[in-house]
Amino acid sequence: MSVRRRQVLTGSAAGAVSLASGLASPAIAANEPIRIGYLPALTGPSSSTGVAMNRGTIFAIEELNAAGGINGRKIELIVRDTQSDPTKAVNGAAELIHRQKVNIISGPGNSGESLAATPLIARDGIPQLHPCWVDTLIDVKKYPMAFRNAPTNSQIGAAANHYVVDVLKRKKVAVISDTTGYGTASVETYVPMLKEKGAQVVYQANIDAANPDLKPDMLRMRDAGAEAIMPWSVNAGFLARICNTRGNMGWDVPIVGQTTLGSGQTKALLEKPEYWNKVYSNNFKNCCYGADGKLPAQTAEFAERIRKAKIDMADTLLWWIASGWDAPRMIAEAVKAAGSSPKEITGYWNQLKGWPGVYGTVRFTPEQHNGFLDDEVVMCEVNSLRDGAFNLAPGYGS
Amino acid sequence: MLESIVSYGLAVGAVYALIGITYNVMFTASRVFSFTAGMLGMLGGVLGALFIDQMGLPVIVGLAATLACGAVIGVVTEIVTVRPVLKSLEQHLYVLSTLAFALLVQQFTAIEWGTEARPFPRLFKIEAGLLDQQFWLPLLACAVTVVGLELLYRRTLIGRAFLAISEDNYAARALGLPEQWLRIASFILAGMIGTLAGFSGGELLLAFFGNQSILNFYGFVPVALGGMGSNRGALIGGLALGVFQQTANFLVGGVFAAVAVFAVFIVVLLLRPEGLAGASGARRV
Repeated sequence: MSVRRRQVLTGSAAGAVSLASGLASPAIAANEPIRIGYLPALTGPSSSTGVAMNRGTIFAIEELNAAGGINGRKIELIVRDTQSDPTKAVNGAAELIHRQKVNIISGPGNSGESLAATPLIARDGIPQLHPCWVDTLIDVKKYPMAFRNAPTNSQIGAAANHYVVDVLKRKKVAVISDTTGYGTASVETYVPMLKEKGAQVVYQANIDAANPDLKPDMLRMRDAGAEAIMPWSVNAGFLARICNTRGNMGWDVPIVGQTTLGSGQTKALLEKPEYWNKVYSNNFKNCCYGADGKLPAQTAEFAERIRKAKIDMADTLLWWIASGWDAPRMIAEAVKAAGSSPKEITGYWNQLKGWPGVYGTVRFTPEQHNGFLDDEVVMCEVNSLRDGAFNLAPGYGS
Repeated sequence: MLESIVSYGLAVGAVYALIGITYNVMFTASRVFSFTAGMLGMLGGVLGALFIDQMGLPVIVGLAATLACGAVIGVVTEIVTVRPVLKSLEQHLYVLSTLAFALLVQQFTAIEWGTEARPFPRLFKIEAGLLDQQFWLPLLACAVTVVGLELLYRRTLIGRAFLAISEDNYAARALGLPEQWLRIASFILAGMIGTLAGFSGGELLLAFFGNQSILNFYGFVPVALGGMGSNRGALIGGLALGVFQQTANFLVGGVFAAVAVFAVFIVVLLLRPEGLAGASGARRV
């Protein structure tokens, strides 16, 4: 992936030739690779998702190139590790656009990095496809070439709220978070949504995640009459303490919330395995086992392929790998059907109708670049994890 | 509620007290306020989990290995961050050097150990209860440390030498005491006490790189409350802080509990800047 001085000079000479001769340009363009600039977080504190997505992305690129590339053009993935750092994401994006002259940017994979890099990518008129959840990252007026093949935070919250109020029929809810920006913003966003659905938020708090004893807060929730707890945090220690405290109190109340509730790190911190019962986390319909205990056909076929390719699944989740696998395939299809210029890719995606991703079905319009469908954001039973996927939570037909 | 305030409060308070004592042991030997105390506490939890949970060592061997690592880090701290700045103490460069070293170690821990909290092993295979080991272990460690330090300082020659250099560095050197070696010995001791704090409180605080900043701050509070250099003050201040913090958790909860702790801390320092157990220093002019 590294670029040597000679390669840069050769590239510059080719660019000079194409500028000098109108005839030479199409011939060179027809043979040159499709250059995808890729900005995963492969190291640093928020890298577990990025590492898994990277496995899917690399696998997809290998498959596409093995099948002959796109219209005979190979795909070149130029990777810049953001190191979970927004500054490095911005620097990486600038280098990919200005020095590497990529056709499209895939990523960054974390919202904090995307918030920093997206305005820069938009300013330079490069198409961008990212899997980040923060709602404001998609705005067709500010970022007309930015697309999302993942749910928004609003969809995540709406799915959890729907599950608590409509499926579990719990009307009195405790909504808590840690004190991070993500946690506090989630509570502020989701509490009004819950109230709109007719639920009563009987307890609401931002709690220091480092506090080793959550019993005081949990007692207040119980005394307030909470029938469900909705914690919004990506801190496994905090979430495990909630599960442990609930178990030690003998309080039989469901915990419903973010995907980290079902992570291996959270599981490792449980005092007893049964403290993971009645815990439901967000997940995605295509990546969950249905009532028959099977994955959807397309996902099962994908899972079999990654198993045969010996892609490590032991430390990760299926939907992370699927998300990474979908992105280059979406790009490849757009380039194959419309061409590799920014206008061609954007124009194709603006008309995209129901693209069948493994992670989820994606649909864009010129006015809506949030591609994920509401009904594909679901809840799962966290204690059902096997081979990187979970059972759909009770109430989804399982 | 009361039993939870007492058990959790005293246990966490004992960890804070031990970190406060770690600050004091380094301070008395060098007049340097080393911000590596929280780092040592964090490492106590991480190394304990590494040796016992990951490597499968027996508890006693894991404890010994953790304390040995703490001792080595104490020596490195003295050589790398303290000794070079001793000549210019009035410029307070040690704040930068010790903090930078602590952050370096924390980042290294985050990379190698991970950024998520990991479980700390249960040291004794006994059933959990109200008087669970996670509550009495930090108290036991604190009691052993305080009694041990008292015996060391009052009953042994090397302990009296520690006190001598803390009282008057120049006079001690003039009497032929090996000041540099005594300082290194103090940092070894501090390294062991700091890691013992994290090890004994591991079941409460888990093996988590983020504990460093919490312990750095909450371990500093008892030192400020109890008076710099006063181990008895740190002990009382630490236990009081733990109980007060847990009471605030019950009474106000959420982030307001932390606000209550900070508010009381500021009020106490405004009323008694020398700390509750410290003596006002007179300066000849």
